[in-house]
Amino acid sequence: MVRTLALIGMLLAALLMTVGCGGKKNVPVADNTAAVVATAPVEEVVEEAPVAETPAPVTDYATMSPQEYGIEDVYFAYDEYTIGAAAMATLTANAKIMKEHGDVVYLIEGHCDERGTVEYNLALGEKRAAAVRDYLANLGVKAGQLRVTSYGEERPFVAGSTEASWAKNRRAHFARP
Amino acid sequence: MRHDIRRDILATALVLLAAVAPAAAQGEYIMRADRSAAELTDILVLPPEVQAGGAEARVAAGTVDAVIRADLDYSGLFRLLTRDQVTGKSPGHYLIDGVLEGLPTGGASSPALTLRLLSEPGGQVLLSKRYQPGPDRLRATAHHFVEQVIRMLTDLPGISLSRIVFARGSGDRRDIWCVDYDGEGLLRLTANRTLNLFPSWSPDNKQIAFMSFRQGQQGTYMLEAATGAVRLVGETSGSNLGPSWHPGGQELVVALSKAGQPDIYRLGLEGRVIRRLTVSESIEVSPSWSPGGRDLVFTSDRTGTPQLYIMDADGTGRRRLTFEGKYNDSADWSPRGDRIVYACREQEITQLMLIEAGGENRRLLTDASWRNCEDPSWAPDGRHVVFASDRTGVFKLYILDVEDGSIRQLTKGGEPDTTPDWSQ
Repeated sequence: MVRTLALIGMLLAALLMTVGCGGKKNVPVADNTAAVVATAPVEEVVEEAPVAETPAPVTDYATMSPQEYGIEDVYFAYDEYTIGAAAMATLTANAKIMKEHGDVVYLIEGHCDERGTVEYNLALGEKRAAAVRDYLANLGVKAGQLRVTSYGEERPFVAGSTEASWAKNRRAHFARP
Repeated sequence: MRHDIRRDILATALVLLAAVAPAAAQGEYIMRADRSAAELTDILVLPPEVQAGGAEARVAAGTVDAVIRADLDYSGLFRLLTRDQVTGKSPGHYLIDGVLEGLPTGGASSPALTLRLLSEPGGQVLLSKRYQPGPDRLRATAHHFVEQVIRMLTDLPGISLSRIVFARGSGDRRDIWCVDYDGEGLLRLTANRTLNLFPSWSPDNKQIAFMSFRQGQQGTYMLEAATGAVRLVGETSGSNLGPSWHPGGQELVVALSKAGQPDIYRLGLEGRVIRRLTVSESIEVSPSWSPGGRDLVFTSDRTGTPQLYIMDADGTGRRRLTFEGKYNDSADWSPRGDRIVYACREQEITQLMLIEAGGENRRLLTDASWRNCEDPSWAPDGRHVVFASDRTGVFKLYILDVEDGSIRQLTKGGEPDTTPDWSQ
């Protein structure tokens, strides 16, 4: 989007220049933008049109995963859906980013380790996701930014039947909806 | 003549179990109890006499004979006699025989297969059935006959015609499959490349309700068993867990979290909420009706750990069923109404547990050699239970004879099989 605006800006500037050079009668009137670009030296446009300056790197929330711009997952104790101290700190940081970009929607996925039954774990995963949603809402994140779902034990992040693996799989994961 | 099915003979049955075989084919025993002959009904099965049709007809008769024998053995009710055991002294026993008139072709002009049940000595015909099966219906025909035999002798439903639906696959790609109770006739019912779980047979075995993410979030769906057609029943925001059928066949019971956390709702077959049964801040899932539809057993973690509770059909009269163990879930109420089987997790392993509906006589059905045993579902005979176990490292389905402790493997292959439900 930003790049598109920059390009339009360049084109407008080039067009103005073309029109502005009225003294040169031989300059043909362009009937398509490609021709306009071709007749206008890019260097001149860059100097005279501030909008054409190279834009800062764009954070494209529509295509990047939340983790790429600093949103972190939070973890839970076995068969628990209360937010622990470490998770509170993570969610506080997450909330800051989320509130800066109030138009971005997040899907909070609740996950469980492989222990326990399939159905109960789906319910447990949802309680974890809901606990995270409620905590973020209390920190001021808009309700419309937060959706929840549960995958129970069906989508482990780490394979294996050790406490280390289980701990990584008991999480609320932030995804794009 | 009625034969009493003895129920609580298992006190020491685990001790009697034969050694665990390393690998078993579908439907084969993994553990087999040394059944006491006193509890069994003696029966002699003779292969159908082949009148015409040559070798092919003899193969067909052999198939019928083998299925009859396997079904009778599977029922846990019979001791299969040999001719030697019958000649000489022959106290009261039963005899199955039959006639195959030629090679079965199916249709009205097909050579007939007649199967009979007689009481011996005396040769009184108790049951005589005439079939005209097609060549692909020989197994089903034998199953049908054995079902009639068991109903006649016990006055109770058998399992010969029953089937089991389950979820096969891993991660968020699981489909609904169906298999005959003896491991034959495996059939895939969905192929939507999402997570499908918790299939549940309607009481008339014509429809299968299940949960699916097929539209990106959990919803309750209905599959017509005859056509494979799938329709959406209901999709509310959040969990749509379960579903499970009311014994009357006109409604489902599900766990929905549209009010914030999973609660139990009675749902019409078109998705309308008939009644909300639980209201709490805790997790309430996994409901199962009593066979009369008077009450339900379900899981709640209101005390901090998942435990089983029973409530009346309108959500009142809640009483706690389990007090032992820190993780009790996945209850299924026996079709005879007297007992409930469930999954109990202790010391890092999930095992099957049996308890009377009044809360008495809790007892363990499996042991740690079975690793995790989950999602038990009763057979229509109220004697067998299908469940998922990861004893081989991957969850497969097994069938336990609750009375004598025998266990058979139902499904094979490398993909996980979970959340089975036995037809009624």
